[in-house]
Amino acid sequence: MIDKATITIDGQKIQARYGQTILQAAREHGIHIPVLCDHPALPPEGACRICLVEIERQRTLQPACTFPVSEGLVIHTHSPKVIEARKFSLELLISDHPLDCMTCEATGNCLLQDLAYEYGVTGDRYQGEKHHYPIDTSNPFIVVDRNKCILCRRCVRACAYINGVEAISVFYRGFNAYIGFGADSTMQDSPCEFCGSCVEVCPTGALWPKMAIGKGRPYQLKSVQTVCTYCGVGCQIELQVRNNRIVNVTGVENAPVNQGFTCVKGRFGNDFVHHEDRLLKPRLRKYLLEGGKREGKGRGEWVEVDWDTALDIVARKLLETRDKFGSDSVGLLTSAKCTNEENYLMNKLARQIIGTNNIDHCARLCHSSTVAGLAISFGSGAMSNSIEDVTQQAKAFFVIGSNTTEQHPVIGMKIRQAVKQRDAILIVADPRQIPLVDFATLHLQHKPGTDIALLNGLMHIILKNGWEDKAFIEERTEGFEEFKAVVEQYPPERVSEITGVPQELLLEAAQLMGQNKPMAVIWAMGITQHTTGVYNVFSLANLQMLLGNMGIPGGGVNPLRGQNNVQGACDMGGLPNVYPAYQPVTSEEAAHKFAQAWGAPMSTKIGMTVTEMIPAAKEGKIKALYIMAEDPMMSDPDTNHVRECLEACEFVVLQDIFYTETAPYADVLLPGVSFAEKTGTFTNTERRIQLVRQALQPLGEAQPDWQILCEVANRLLATSSSTSGRTIDLQAPYARWDYRHPKDIMDEINALAPSYAGVRYERLERGETFQWPVKDEHHPGTPILHVGKFARGLGKFAAVDHIPPAELPDTEYPMVLSTGRVLYHWHGGELSRRAQGLLEIYPKPLVEINPEDAQRLGLNGHRRVRVTSRRGSIEAEAWITDRVLPGMVYANFHFPEASANVLTHAALDPIAKIPEYKVCAVKVEAVE
Amino acid sequence: MSETLEEQTFDLIPLLAILEEYKNQKGAIIPILQRTQEIYGYLPKPVLKEISKRLRIPISRIQGVATFYAQFHLKRRGRHLIRVCDGTACHVKGAMKTVDVIHEQLQTPPNGSSPDYKYSLEIVYCLGSCGLAPVVVVDDKVYGQTEPDKLVRQLKRLE
Repeated sequence: MIDKATITIDGQKIQARYGQTILQAAREHGIHIPVLCDHPALPPEGACRICLVEIERQRTLQPACTFPVSEGLVIHTHSPKVIEARKFSLELLISDHPLDCMTCEATGNCLLQDLAYEYGVTGDRYQGEKHHYPIDTSNPFIVVDRNKCILCRRCVRACAYINGVEAISVFYRGFNAYIGFGADSTMQDSPCEFCGSCVEVCPTGALWPKMAIGKGRPYQLKSVQTVCTYCGVGCQIELQVRNNRIVNVTGVENAPVNQGFTCVKGRFGNDFVHHEDRLLKPRLRKYLLEGGKREGKGRGEWVEVDWDTALDIVARKLLETRDKFGSDSVGLLTSAKCTNEENYLMNKLARQIIGTNNIDHCARLCHSSTVAGLAISFGSGAMSNSIEDVTQQAKAFFVIGSNTTEQHPVIGMKIRQAVKQRDAILIVADPRQIPLVDFATLHLQHKPGTDIALLNGLMHIILKNGWEDKAFIEERTEGFEEFKAVVEQYPPERVSEITGVPQELLLEAAQLMGQNKPMAVIWAMGITQHTTGVYNVFSLANLQMLLGNMGIPGGGVNPLRGQNNVQGACDMGGLPNVYPAYQPVTSEEAAHKFAQAWGAPMSTKIGMTVTEMIPAAKEGKIKALYIMAEDPMMSDPDTNHVRECLEACEFVVLQDIFYTETAPYADVLLPGVSFAEKTGTFTNTERRIQLVRQALQPLGEAQPDWQILCEVANRLLATSSSTSGRTIDLQAPYARWDYRHPKDIMDEINALAPSYAGVRYERLERGETFQWPVKDEHHPGTPILHVGKFARGLGKFAAVDHIPPAELPDTEYPMVLSTGRVLYHWHGGELSRRAQGLLEIYPKPLVEINPEDAQRLGLNGHRRVRVTSRRGSIEAEAWITDRVLPGMVYANFHFPEASANVLTHAALDPIAKIPEYKVCAVKVEAVE
Repeated sequence: MSETLEEQTFDLIPLLAILEEYKNQKGAIIPILQRTQEIYGYLPKPVLKEISKRLRIPISRIQGVATFYAQFHLKRRGRHLIRVCDGTACHVKGAMKTVDVIHEQLQTPPNGSSPDYKYSLEIVYCLGSCGLAPVVVVDDKVYGQTEPDKLVRQLKRLE
């Protein structure tokens, strides 16, 4: 079959592919054809008539953006007839367009302006009626100026084909036509999610980011390509900087994950960097300066000090604690917000200098059960596939316990596109009516904490009908018979009773799964944050093995990681049981390797998890805590208990960018910097390592976290005396802390962490992007894990039974509380509450409650509630909505004034030590 | 006024019957909107939102269709629709006089409704009965060679 057509454009013969348009072929060969309505990321529209070209033997001029190539076409892109036609279209557009380029924000970044310049169009040829629309500035993110709109429908298509909610459309006809939102409302009253894709593609100044207004012309800004600091999707963004301030954020067109588009947080949520709460100078408690002792629970006054004073005291106190109470009396919390290099250093500080494995971070609270579960089932605890292959090739999606469009919005958008554009099957299992349900083929609304029963029930039906992949089970797995015996105990009648899901739906779901392969399983906290978290993960691994969906594009186990670099923080040994690249601390071989490398004896004892360290502080086992960019007061369960523990801890160092909710319990505050002020790498949810580039000079006296860690470590090394009995041989190859640049740290990681061996800065700087394992400097990375063979050899079926949640409703606490996040905020809210637009659009905590319960509680119109658990009580506004089932409430942990974690309990999964955030018993009352 | 109308509740049961009828038919927005308008007299926003929710069609798309076609009405209309022709023949014969009198005496502005929603007034361009100019069509009845005051009297007699 011939798939190439020879066409001639402006006398140049080129080979185009059938199926391409003239415009696409021209672009590929670097031939310029001007456009207004066309955008490479969007389907062609053919609306603006700017790309008209002359094609020999065609009666009229044809739009290059929609005209398909065929053999022998001879095309002229700039003939006199073409130029005349373009001028005519431009004259008409400009006849109803304000000629205010001198004050227009878009000047320098406006296609209409560029074309007017190119074609000498001044706007005085046609005079006619002009529109005078009011400018809509009512939402916090996007200014809508319809006077500047040329009706190219790029925004309409972006909302449909990038985001998927289709909040934008053209209303009315002819001269009266305009771009409108929802049911002709404001953007904020429409289904708009403020991802800003419309702003990204708008060719004029009709849609403009509010925060950038008056802050400088596009050509006055320095543009720095980096990686978003919010979630684990790993979108690349461009920070637009002027006078050391971020004034705007735009997408990166060729970014592997997001192709130029972002969510609301990535595009409009970065002004936290400049918030007045930033810590700009180190602080100490006064008693430390006076050499005294802390008395009672309080820690006394803060004093601002210089760096040397603060660092000397930190080093002295850590050393004192280590030498007096032993290495294991110190705990370190590393950070999923910080870079790989910084996490590596934290791990080195703990293991080399302090000599403890007491290092952990908030991965414990989100995906520790995934890491543990998948490591046991398959031998590797990470997302097995890539965002690209999953979203483009899965025939079906099974999304369980992931509110994808709110928590991993860019992946959520891609799932919506798969459903809308290629009719992919989407099965959502979630106790809540999450937004993705609107696009789902089926919604299994199971009761919180019944995931194992649900999954066993589905697998029971799959086995009964012979939909399993027998060859895959035979060749690549073990433990099947034992597993099968357990699953046989879960017939639909029983499962329906436990889960509340009707039997027909179970049958339908199992059939869809059995008959649509490959299917990708996607999950997040709804699976992991249970006392059965690891077992839940086992069940999902079982399902994918049963269906033979492992090791293939469009399939796999796809846990979506929360923080921007939570994958990296785990990879770098920010866990109590492993060195970088998951080399177990209990392995003599690994201990030997790191002892040799770092020149110090290694502990082979598994350290404490964050959920153990904090209580241990109260028990006096942990005497000093070094916390880097974590906020346990917001993120850990049972806030009141966390407070008591932190109060009891003798010495707490907090390295952060804000005075967080944890700061009142610290003795020393070391001001670190945001992602915009440092260089390093982040590893996203699909194991992709990407370069974070410094865009700003550190604000105030704040310092990049890696530099602070080096300062602390070098002081410890210098004063680490023989009295402690812990000697460090500085002649060992990687004992020293003399890094001049994060690149030097990565060199050390290359040598010691096999899956990062080929992650070289030179490659990243060249624009290469790869997913670990990257075995050497020529290795292209590994987009899909477990191809042909599991990391552990055979995949292990695990026989698991339904176990009810640790705390069930009773007469005193009759309702179930589940917790989580919302689109516009992020985790403890430390960043998003300091981003003006995000706070404006979602200003206060809301507790979701079903209309049935609301009526029972007498909440008619009276919408403030008190939610009480055995551990505490919060008051917040109720949002009466059928997003939650009757008998259930849902609260977020973004706002300190009513944080869900006051209510949650620290019942832990026995293996992963993850708390059960998703189920606890509460009572709800109307507040007078 | 429109604010309070927004809040107004609508009996959705007849709508559900229409949606049921078209539930397996793709691309049926236009007939659905036509049938809906027959029931409610116009296309109220809450009803459009309900259609959007139940059919999983984005509200912006429905709004786009409803505003594109002149046959759809997004504002509440009176019980009786008065269409005054202002085509060439009717215009010459004084159609605008009729419009003014209706506006004044029935408090019904062009392209608007009377406060009690008894009448709505539309100006249209040629009903194809130029021989009867000036022509007015009230609901489905044609009035030819109309005189404004007589027409108003007839209109007042309507229920």
